[in-house]
Amino acid sequence: MPKSIDSKSNNVIVTTIVKFAYLVKASVRYQKLKGFFYDLLENDQYRYKRWFDIFMIFIILSSVLILVIDVKKTLPDWLEDYDIYFVTSIFITEYLLRMWVYSDVHKMVIRLSEESQYLHQHLSLYRLLGVIIRDKWQYVISPAALVDLIAILPSYRQIRVLRILVLFRAFKMLRYARSLSSFLFILKSKKFELVTLLTLTAFFVFIAGIMLYVFEGDGDNKNITNLFDAFYWALVTISTVGYGDISPVTPEGRVVSMLIIITGVGLIAFMTSIIVSSFSERLVELREDRVMQEVGKKRHVIVICGFGVMGKKVAQGLLDEGSELIIVERDEEIAQQAHNSGYRSICADATKSAVFERIGIAERISQVLCLTSEDEQNAFIAINVKSLNPDVKVTARCSDKEIAEKLHYAGIDDVVIPEEITAMMGVVHAGEPVAFEALRSIVAHKGETHIDEVRVKTGGALENRHVEDLKSKAFRLIILGIVRPDEKGRKMFLFNPDDGTSLHSGDDLVFMGHPTAIAHFKQKVQP
Amino acid sequence: MRRTEGVHKEVILFGYGKFGRHMYAQLSQSGYRVTLAVMQESNYQNAVEDGIEEIRRFNPKRNSSIKMLDIDPQKHLLYCAMDHTSSNLFLVLSLHELFHDAVIVAVSNSDENTRKLKYAGADTVIDIYEASAQHLVTNLTKPAVSEALNTIVFEKNDLKIAEIVLEPNTMLEKKYVSQIDFYSRGLILVAIIDKELGDELIYIGKGVDHKFDGGDTLILAGRSNDILAFRKELSGA
Repeated sequence: MPKSIDSKSNNVIVTTIVKFAYLVKASVRYQKLKGFFYDLLENDQYRYKRWFDIFMIFIILSSVLILVIDVKKTLPDWLEDYDIYFVTSIFITEYLLRMWVYSDVHKMVIRLSEESQYLHQHLSLYRLLGVIIRDKWQYVISPAALVDLIAILPSYRQIRVLRILVLFRAFKMLRYARSLSSFLFILKSKKFELVTLLTLTAFFVFIAGIMLYVFEGDGDNKNITNLFDAFYWALVTISTVGYGDISPVTPEGRVVSMLIIITGVGLIAFMTSIIVSSFSERLVELREDRVMQEVGKKRHVIVICGFGVMGKKVAQGLLDEGSELIIVERDEEIAQQAHNSGYRSICADATKSAVFERIGIAERISQVLCLTSEDEQNAFIAINVKSLNPDVKVTARCSDKEIAEKLHYAGIDDVVIPEEITAMMGVVHAGEPVAFEALRSIVAHKGETHIDEVRVKTGGALENRHVEDLKSKAFRLIILGIVRPDEKGRKMFLFNPDDGTSLHSGDDLVFMGHPTAIAHFKQKVQP
Repeated sequence: MRRTEGVHKEVILFGYGKFGRHMYAQLSQSGYRVTLAVMQESNYQNAVEDGIEEIRRFNPKRNSSIKMLDIDPQKHLLYCAMDHTSSNLFLVLSLHELFHDAVIVAVSNSDENTRKLKYAGADTVIDIYEASAQHLVTNLTKPAVSEALNTIVFEKNDLKIAEIVLEPNTMLEKKYVSQIDFYSRGLILVAIIDKELGDELIYIGKGVDHKFDGGDTLILAGRSNDILAFRKELSGA
């Protein structure tokens, strides 16, 4: 009878848990909250994570400092309270949050429930809890989580030995300081070589230690009283540190010493070469990771594919205008050149989707410029991008009108034919050479007059203003015209509008003037 | 800055490769009489296939061959648009040596070659990538400016940018920029070249109230009719 009651109550609990899991699945607020904490704790590309990391580094450093001061001085109460209550609460909260975002329990519950229904099996409470606990246990025993857990312990000041665990708080820094974690990541990639080296070192220490003990441990050397002293001497010598507190006194011992010194130098050189080579192998990868982290915080990123002559000039022009851009170049050497010139660059094949997915085609790329010197390559890249996200604006370079038509047919938004633009400029020059130079200088911002534009915003300072007001001497601007969308949304340029023309929301005012006058005007109308 | 008095309507275009082909199409569409001079047989055949009638063969290394093109520096604009930089450079050098007064326009593909072409004697060098990059950047960062420039400068409509050289004793003589209402005439004064101060452009946006004299060149933007009317007003007709 009691067994039946137990089973009944277990069923009720399981049903309640399953219902709750579905409730959680349907809750947008829950998903948003969890997503927020996941981004804050784990997503390097989340814009606020950096501030969270800085905050945690501060907490860790302050905690370590307090524990160090506490060794010789009596701490004021408020500082002790800060360390015991505030810091520990933060660490415990962080630990629990990380455990929460590690996996989705509600998904596991739903999966198990649906599996049981499908197989007409009974879902027991123990099985359900077992699966959940096993999953979370995976988190608990992960190295990073163990460090987090141990880092909470030094708060129990009554147990003095636990204070040594303060070091684990310093280890927590690995989570937040990217350069430290990058270093560990590199070492991890050379695990085999480093383990081999360590084994070899241990072997030499073992042999040399025993030899010295055999030669001098019988009383010849008063500093060597046991095997530990001999091993200690061997390790200090092989590492080329050589404190000098223990040194061989017999000719045999000195021979061992000579051999171990030569071996030590070799081992140190070996280790240095392993670390240096692993760094140089992963340097590009590390640089690109850093680029991705930087770009991750941006929106409206322009991707330039190809860093040839035109790519360079466009990149420079866009950078001057303050655009956020990233260069994707297939040639490693050229990608490195782009990096050396101060651009964010990635060495990758832009005809493959991986690079755009890595940058974030769905959320942060606004424009892609295909500027390699090969038409086919540009078409390939452009179609690749459009197939991944049709909303991203793509501009492709090509050499011919026929190719341009094909690209337009494929949905490419804009096409640039450098030869045609040059020819158009040649025509302008043929008719009005001086005007050509004047315009070229104005557009390229080479002279003292620049051309610029400003958007009329709803409720902004320019809405419903008359052109006459803008021609006043206070602004010292030449009003060229207004670009205004017509009923169908097509942009029309109204040249030299009448003084009585009023500006509407969505209009773009185009004007020329001295850079100072332009800056002053923009500040007035777009503070 | 080299100024050309009067408007050339005839162009001698050197080269019919990837640069020359586009240049020929744009110039001929804009109403210029273009004589094509080609060096390579393949380009000659391409031009013939494209239906071009005025084609001449030449060798840039032979002065006699260039002289046979009947170049008149007062009448012809010389456009050097050969695909190979070395050929283009040598051509500019030859043309400059033979026709000191000719206006030579050359196409370049890098900053470095622009410098060399200018040194060899080209009056104006259009850097193909510089121009395209500028066009693209303006299009991306200042779309309205790009729209305005395309409408005024490149599109086929009655809006244009024009330069007017002031004759002595026009109605503008000794008057200041601030005294003349260009806006009401449908015109926008962009820049001036003051003959007394040299060939440098003085931009109106700078805010200097310039005094007009005979010989000054005005750079104006406006509709063809308004520019014509202003020309007439200046000539007193």
